[in-house]
Order: sequence, then structure tokens, then C-alpha cells
Amino acid sequence: MRYLAIIIMTLLTLNSSDQNTESKKPVSGGTSKHDYSVKIVRFADLEAVMKKNDDKLYVVNFWATWCRPCVLELPEFMEVNNAYRNQPRFKMILVSLDMAKEAETTVRAFLEKRKMDVDVYLLDDNKRMNEWIPAIDKNWSGAIPATVFYRNGEKVEFIENKMQKSELEQLIKKYL
Amino acid sequence: MKKTILIVCSIIFLAGLAQVKAQKMENNSAHKGYKVGDVATDFKLKNVDQKMVSLSDYKDAKGFIVVFTCNHCPYAKAYESRIIALDQKYASKGYPVIAINPNDPKVEPTDNFEAMQVRAKEKAFTFPYLFDDGQTVYPQYGATKTPHVFLLNKENGKNIVRYIGAIDDNYADVNDVSNKYVEAAVDALLANQPIAQTTTVAIGCSIKAQKN
Repeated sequence: MRYLAIIIMTLLTLNSSDQNTESKKPVSGGTSKHDYSVKIVRFADLEAVMKKNDDKLYVVNFWATWCRPCVLELPEFMEVNNAYRNQPRFKMILVSLDMAKEAETTVRAFLEKRKMDVDVYLLDDNKRMNEWIPAIDKNWSGAIPATVFYRNGEKVEFIENKMQKSELEQLIKKYL
Repeated sequence: MKKTILIVCSIIFLAGLAQVKAQKMENNSAHKGYKVGDVATDFKLKNVDQKMVSLSDYKDAKGFIVVFTCNHCPYAKAYESRIIALDQKYASKGYPVIAINPNDPKVEPTDNFEAMQVRAKEKAFTFPYLFDDGQTVYPQYGATKTPHVFLLNKENGKNIVRYIGAIDDNYADVNDVSNKYVEAAVDALLANQPIAQTTTVAIGCSIKAQKN
């Protein structure tokens, strides 16, 4: 019942939004050529990706297939990604915290089923959690979902919590 | 007339304050709760055997390994055997495990009381597995996820927080753990030594509450 309410709220938000109507497209928006494989990385590799000095706003979402609030917010994240995908200075990245052995099975299946056309990494660096969690944000308790925003190697925003679509859009507009 | 306006204005003002406070609470959720050195509150929570449990029940305990954990979270599940092992190692030495489920079953149905009873029985928990009914205890502690450990030490009749954080450094593989944070902390307390690492962080499932 609760999920129905969330869906209705989302639809209402969509309808009243003055965004371009690409957001009315289904979650996919992607081409059939999208490769749904998940790259397994350690934190240093992930840093290299999200902290590039290329003037892009990197929106990096930490999630897992088994994390209910994460899964609930993903459709909205994908809508926003689709709306902004043609902006050269915008890049959304999803970072899965599923177990590494699930990358090609559970995680990939999840992405394929939902036709999620977005770059997905799986962060497999468990023993250094106590280092990379505070490196992303010193106040991050490690709870997911969480979303961090980087540009030119600098963190401009960090949200420890599920995000509403409007909040996500607001922040993107602010920093883009 | 003046009185009415005054009352209406007060209501609007208070409503505004409440909203600001609610906003603040949401934004600062990572900052609330105990720091190392704080006095931990006692509580009276229902155990899976239906009996009420408080820290004060344990007259002979030297402290407590309070673990916020639950049924559904894969990280919590990955640590179940290790939580049992902690209790088996340290309960007899004065530091029993007290497990508390902080989640709201309305938000996460698989974390309801019946499911807690099933899990406790399945895994043969040797420690209390308490239900934070009304979710009033976990915010006081400042637990933000499961699992989340608060190691308490009895000092001058009070339960002082001495360690906050993860159980060890590898949820995925019990055979590839380099740092057993909680064990090191309890060992230090038992040896009257300072704890080398008093806080750690690890990935976990956010605590399920309404309006989250």
C-alpha cells in the first residue's frame, strides 16, 4: 500500500514538473546495445572514475540489489539520468555494494530486467571500508543508500539517505 | 480578537519550529546519538521469549556488547555466527551480547517480532534479541544501520560507551578478517588497557523507520 502511495506521488511529481517531458519515458530510455555487465573495482579505481578533472558533475549512488530503499529510489534516479544523459557535463554512476560473486548474476539480472542504461560498478573493497567510507564523507555512517556528487575531484555534496527525485534534480541543477 | 490572532500566530510559529526541528533532525541524523565516553541509557525491551529485559538486570556484568541487528539485512545475517561467537567468548567474562532489532515492521515486514523469534530459535541465539518497540532506543544510541555495535563498560555504576562501530573488517568472509574490532576493544577493557580503535565504520542497511 505504501509503495502504491510512493508511485502515485512520483507520477504526480512528474506531471507537475516543468522538466522536459523526456521524464515521461519508461525507465529504460536506453538502446538495446547497452552492455549490462558490472565492473568490479576497488576504491582506488572508483576514485579514478568519479574524481576525473573533466568539469563533469558526477552523481554517484551507492546501492545494493537487496537494499529496499535503494531499489525504491532507483527508478527516479534513472528518470533523471535519462533526462540529463545528453548533457556533456553530467554523468551518473551507480556503485553496487552487493557481494562480488553476485556481479554477473544477481546484479546483472537486476539491471537487465529494468533495462537500466547507466554505468554500474561493484565496489569490492570490504576490508578497507573503514578507510574509504570516511574518505567519501567523514560523517557517513556507512548506511545505504547514499549519493555523493563530485566535480573535478572535489566533493560538492553528499546525501546519506534515500533521495526524492525533486531533491536530486535540485542538486543537479545547482551544480551543473 | 487580539487573543485569537495571538493564538493563531503562536500555532503557526510552533508549527514552523517543529518543521525546522524535523528538518534538522533528518539532516543531522548522522550526528545524533552517543559519542565514546557518553553514558548509555538503559531500557526495558521485550525479548523473543516475551520477557522484558534491561541492562540493570545484569548485576554481575562488567559491561555489554549492544548490537543493533535485524533479520533481513544481508550484512546483519553475515554476522550472525560472529555475534553468537562474541557472546560465547565474552558473556562468561562479564560482557554479554544484547541484540536489539531497531526496525519498524511496518516498513520492513520481515523484521517483525514473530520473525525475530524464528531467527533466534533457528540460530540458537544465546543472548537476548530485543524488539525496539516504538523505536525509542536506537535514536538515543545513534544507531544508523544494522549491524551497529555499542560496547558499554560499567564505570561507577554507569554504562559508558567505549566503542562504536563495526564487528570486524570483512562482512563477506569470516576467514579473511584482519581486524576484529569488537574483540580487540573488549580484550582491552578486560586488560584495563585503553582501546586502540574506538570507532569504526562499515557498510550496513539503513534502519527502517517511517518518514525515512
